[in-house]
Amino acid sequence: MTTLVIGFLIGCAFGAILYLGGATSYRRILGTLRLKDMWIIKLMGTAIGVGTLGIYLLDLGGLANMVIKPAYVWGVALGGIVFGIGWAVSGFCPGTCVVGASEGKKDAMATVLGGLVGALLFSLAFPFIEALLIQKANFGSITLASALGVSGIYLAMGLSAGLLGVVFFVLKDKYE
Amino acid sequence: MERDYLISWKAAGISLGLLLILATALTKPLGVSTQFVVSDAAVVHKVAPEFAESNAYLSKYGNKTNWGVGYGWMLVLGMFVGGGISSALLRKRQPEQDKGSMPAMWKERFGDSMSKRYAAAFGGGVLLLFGARLAGGCTSGHMISGVPQLAISSFIFAVTGFGAAILMAKFLYRSGSES
Repeated sequence: MTTLVIGFLIGCAFGAILYLGGATSYRRILGTLRLKDMWIIKLMGTAIGVGTLGIYLLDLGGLANMVIKPAYVWGVALGGIVFGIGWAVSGFCPGTCVVGASEGKKDAMATVLGGLVGALLFSLAFPFIEALLIQKANFGSITLASALGVSGIYLAMGLSAGLLGVVFFVLKDKYE
Repeated sequence: MERDYLISWKAAGISLGLLLILATALTKPLGVSTQFVVSDAAVVHKVAPEFAESNAYLSKYGNKTNWGVGYGWMLVLGMFVGGGISSALLRKRQPEQDKGSMPAMWKERFGDSMSKRYAAAFGGGVLLLFGARLAGGCTSGHMISGVPQLAISSFIFAVTGFGAAILMAKFLYRSGSES
């Protein structure tokens, strides 16, 4: 029960941040994908920069509940491509269409419906593609740290510094 | 120039990063796309229980008596509620360009047909979730949560997802006017 309440509250904050930060805005999403207004990539880069360092600091204290998704190379890469096309066509992601729908945006509602259909189509296709795309070239739940045999915190510090540096000093206000 | 945002990308990005850290400390990192399957599975278990049980993917999510509604589903419900409340409170201050179901950029390129916009939004949604389920995550699960955990799969997804989206956006707006 507590877990459900925590999930709900974290979701509320997540939804509010996406709305307030303009992540449900077509102008921002397509602006970023057309490389004209880098708002969304700056938002994501900042979040990832802060999150990477934070998660690996938590991990030092043994407090990070990490969930590492398995690296089945072909399925992840192909899924990324199909996802990317859908992202550019709709102007939403699976999370931002939910928040856009909550604002009353009808195009976001259409994306939610499409998403339910897409997830169902994947369920139907799963038995046919599992062997080829998910079981093949599957390296399991590996991280950059485990693959390189380097302690995660050093990589995390490097990635955080690099991302925040690029976002705050290179991209900065260039496209605003 | 008039302020064309509610909160800056810096404020939103830092808050989202902190929220991710909090979620990882309390339960687990953020994720959305799985819940589309959970929702589908709840319906299919209801209308065609035998089929749902026989499908190798749907049968992983819930069953006839238990819908599989848990932490993740409550999180997505929370997103709807949190987004709805903040938009209700701040509607007046939201930039005009970000309101409504017909984005100006879309209209300039593809005309003002609402059905065309909805068709693209729907079709895009089909691809989004098919791709996200195939890859095992979406913008939140892979990019926002997976990259900070240094997951190799999430780096692959971030590169292919952004790459395809940028190329597709360039293609869609190939003869579009500079804005």
